Amino acid sequence: MSLAYQTKSSKGLTDKTKRGIFKAGDVRMTAGPTQPKPVQHMRRNPPIAGEAEAIAKAQNGDAQSFEMLYSLHKRRVYSLCLRMLGNVAEAEDLTQEAFLQLYRKIGTFRGDSAFSTWLHRLAVNVVLMHLRKKGLPQVSLEETLEPSQEDGPRKDIGERDLVLSGSLDRVALERAVENLPPGYRLVFVLHDVEGYEHNEIADMLNCSIGNSKSQLHKARMKLRDLLRSGQRKEEIA
Amino acid sequence: MSASDKQDGKSMNCAEFQEKLPELFESGANVSSEEHVLGCENCAALVRDLEYIASQAKLLLPIHDPSPAVWDNIQSAIRSEKGSGAVPASKRS
Repeated sequence: MSLAYQTKSSKGLTDKTKRGIFKAGDVRMTAGPTQPKPVQHMRRNPPIAGEAEAIAKAQNGDAQSFEMLYSLHKRRVYSLCLRMLGNVAEAEDLTQEAFLQLYRKIGTFRGDSAFSTWLHRLAVNVVLMHLRKKGLPQVSLEETLEPSQEDGPRKDIGERDLVLSGSLDRVALERAVENLPPGYRLVFVLHDVEGYEHNEIADMLNCSIGNSKSQLHKARMKLRDLLRSGQRKEEIA
Repeated sequence: MSASDKQDGKSMNCAEFQEKLPELFESGANVSSEEHVLGCENCAALVRDLEYIASQAKLLLPIHDPSPAVWDNIQSAIRSEKGSGAVPASKRS
């Protein structure tokens, strides 16, 4: 079981640094003995003061400590759900479900990796399970990861006008991500925002690695379209 | 045009280059220094934008908070689980 996974540095798309996170099969909402290997580098997972003690106490049923864990991690879990789903009501429901799962499974966390990494993967699984229950095919059948033709990115042959570099604000990017077709959005959020590798995403979404790569590229292309059309509108206004 | 010309990018047109782009990004190659990019402003801008989007995505931080009702619902669900005798994994021996 390989749990270390890589994320990208700011230098380029494939210059990667090690980060620890669960692989798809490691946390399936079942209280099994499987534990991750030690985290080598925790991007976005810095140690949180008092967290270890709160985990230990919550494992022994301490309600206040569980509430503290909720306070510490609610924003990250909710933001993940919201980005993956693009819907506030569903994101809140699944945040609730993720923390209920946490309540039930916290005893299986042994501290071999960052708690936030473990919880994060638990939340991803909750969202994916929800999408499968809803019967959304984009998380199970790779051919249907493809959005309709009109939703897809345009080819960029001989088209030269706005250049994004240096001009993009994060609010605009957040908004553009929300407007991605669901299949693109899932892969983009999991890979580019959350740092999962293609092999992990392929496991999660039950698609091929090649499909994950292809969807990611199309998602970036579509984002570029969305961001540039947003820039054009601002220029006109 | 030889096959090797095609492969090293010298004779690649924009459509061919863009077809190859996902693979180039994933290969870890320095896409900006590809032969075609050096001679094509349009594709150079495309590469810069895609790299920029990917780099900015990594900087997206969790900024949204759930409404207070979420915690209320969690507490309520936990209470009802306790009431029904369901025991969390932490308390199982």
